[in-house]
Amino acid sequence: MAKGSSNYLIREATEADLPAIMNLENSCFANDAWDSETMHFEVVAHHTFYLGAFDGEQLIGFAGLSKIPGNEQADIQTIAVSESARGQGVGKALMEVLLKEARRLKAEELFLEVRADNPAAQKLYLNLGFEHIDTRKRYYQPDDVDAWVMRLQFARTSIGREPIVLGIETSCDETGIGIVRGNTLLANIISSSMDEHARFGGVVPEIAARAHLEALRPTLNQALAKANLSLKDIDAIAVTNGPGLGGALMVGVGAAKALSVALEKPIYAVNHLVGHVGVDILERGKLETPTVALLVSGGHTSLLLVRDLLEDVELLGETIDDAAGEAFDKVARVLGLKYPGGPEIDKAAATGDPKAIRFPRGLSLPKDMEKHRYDFSFSGLKTAVARWVEKADAAGEELNLADVAASFREAVVDVLVTKAVNACLDHKVPRLLLGGGVVANARLRELAAERCAAHGIELRIPALSLCTDNGAMIAALGAQLIMSGRAPSSLHFSADSTLPVTQVQSH
Amino acid sequence: MPNWTLCVDTSAGTTVSVLQGGEVKSEVHFEENMKHAERIGDAIAQAIAGANISPSRITSVVVGRGPAPFTGLRIGIAAAVMFAEGVGAKLFGVSSLDAIARAALEQRGQSQTPLLVTADARRSENYWALYSGLTKAGSPILIAGPGVAKPAEIDAMFSDQAIDRTKLKISAAYIGKVFEAQLIDGTSSHNVEAMYLREADAVAPKVLRDFGKKVSG
Repeated sequence: MAKGSSNYLIREATEADLPAIMNLENSCFANDAWDSETMHFEVVAHHTFYLGAFDGEQLIGFAGLSKIPGNEQADIQTIAVSESARGQGVGKALMEVLLKEARRLKAEELFLEVRADNPAAQKLYLNLGFEHIDTRKRYYQPDDVDAWVMRLQFARTSIGREPIVLGIETSCDETGIGIVRGNTLLANIISSSMDEHARFGGVVPEIAARAHLEALRPTLNQALAKANLSLKDIDAIAVTNGPGLGGALMVGVGAAKALSVALEKPIYAVNHLVGHVGVDILERGKLETPTVALLVSGGHTSLLLVRDLLEDVELLGETIDDAAGEAFDKVARVLGLKYPGGPEIDKAAATGDPKAIRFPRGLSLPKDMEKHRYDFSFSGLKTAVARWVEKADAAGEELNLADVAASFREAVVDVLVTKAVNACLDHKVPRLLLGGGVVANARLRELAAERCAAHGIELRIPALSLCTDNGAMIAALGAQLIMSGRAPSSLHFSADSTLPVTQVQSH
Repeated sequence: MPNWTLCVDTSAGTTVSVLQGGEVKSEVHFEENMKHAERIGDAIAQAIAGANISPSRITSVVVGRGPAPFTGLRIGIAAAVMFAEGVGAKLFGVSSLDAIARAALEQRGQSQTPLLVTADARRSENYWALYSGLTKAGSPILIAGPGVAKPAEIDAMFSDQAIDRTKLKISAAYIGKVFEAQLIDGTSSHNVEAMYLREADAVAPKVLRDFGKKVSG
């Protein structure tokens, strides 16, 4: 049984579901519905796999796959979603389960037909990696509508050994190039433009993008030297195509595509945030699932529930304003400290009392917890610190920098850890994985260890060089996709600054 | 056998061409000026397929360095840099305005009048450069610019002299032709730095210790 992101369940359909299926069939395909005899055969046959999506008892969608043993080709037989349930990802969720089943049955190609006048469905299939290979004229009768024949090719799974993958990461201010062989880290070189942003007190997108362009070639060559490989040894390219800063992402995307064409090797466009989760594979050989992941950096503050790295990543919550790392930078500025703010505040807080000032915990009041149980907000906290400093200034009092820094840091870290632990307890997940640059913060690691121990939750903190943005995590995720038989991405995927975490690979 | 050259330019749309010696073997143009990241891979793959060679045959990669708006320009340069690394080719840079000048001057034929080349710089500005003609080998001879200014300012700059203008758009094939001419003239360059002609849009905060209103915004 798989649970979708909305309130519905997907399970295998049985004979007992037939009346409901026929009802939906007739309402969705008024002119060319199958008769109930055909449908009955389809649902019970040994070579088919039919799914139903249920909202409570109510059938809201169904879909079927046909795969004859010994035949490398499989077909999507049908898919229907009730009109009232459309636009909630039910069709996509059904398709994803069918794709997984087709892969499990070792299909090499998957075919389907879709009406030429149904762009919404075509877009869904294109996004899943299908391509339009043929058109059957006037296939749908009596409507007299053409059918698109679409095909998805699963990658020839094995190259006889673990793939060597080069990963390129340029989503923020680090140019990262990493190389892995299967689950093994071979090189992880990071070139940061952090110093160039210092005088602005935060990452300037245009400066980051300019720096990526200059860092690409030296970073690549360092990575190859470290791995003791040449580009000829690379089996595939993986690249971050989002989320992140648009202009910065595009440098990596352009570079990766050209490298893919030059080397005549496949390219995999992968999700940056999922990369942060998958990086644990490089240290432990595999990712223990399910796990909750707390990703905290200057650009992201996200809480994920990962049931399967490639198939099932759910965004539980994220910041509704500043990222945690951004809050550190801005408060550092208020306190007259340097950029980046995290280490500076850490240093200033060392001798301070974290309980000296009770700064607000964002989105932690009961009324906020109803709607934003796993979301974060740091904007109010930042203002509270600014007001505190102003007040002290106006009163002519000496500011106790250590106490303010320690109390601010405690407020940030307390909210992060409380919500992450809540997520583990609520979903009965005995694991928490940390990722992102803010993991460098000693107090975050300390409090997470304390609270996880108290609740019997296993805490995973990858090495810092794998927590900050890096190319190795992108290469590792690419290698996972290859080893699970995923088809490569096309050459025309785009950089998507708001790529959702549910989209692990873009086509 | 003359060398194979891959030419890439993303100063306006995405344009890629493959030349053998000075001869254009394939050209691919995508006009959209906001889709470089999407188009660059297909453009390079199609240009190479159109020349009917494998990528490893390419021995030189030449890229248009602009001047051009930031984001798109970088994608072409990043792609050219990585393609050259990938196949072990030599990497060269050419001014994108030079390529337009070469095309226009070739079309115009003999004349003593300088040629003004302009290209859209967005934000109601144009890039500009002034050329006196071509060398015998065919390299454009730059006499002023490149610069970026409002169209009226550019008009004012040249109001007291006779100039020709061109409305031609960039084509990567002409990046290749300029490069071939520069090889003969001995003026080819390995510099592939982006010509932005504008500073990054960023202003350092006046006071780093900036209480209250500013930080809560």
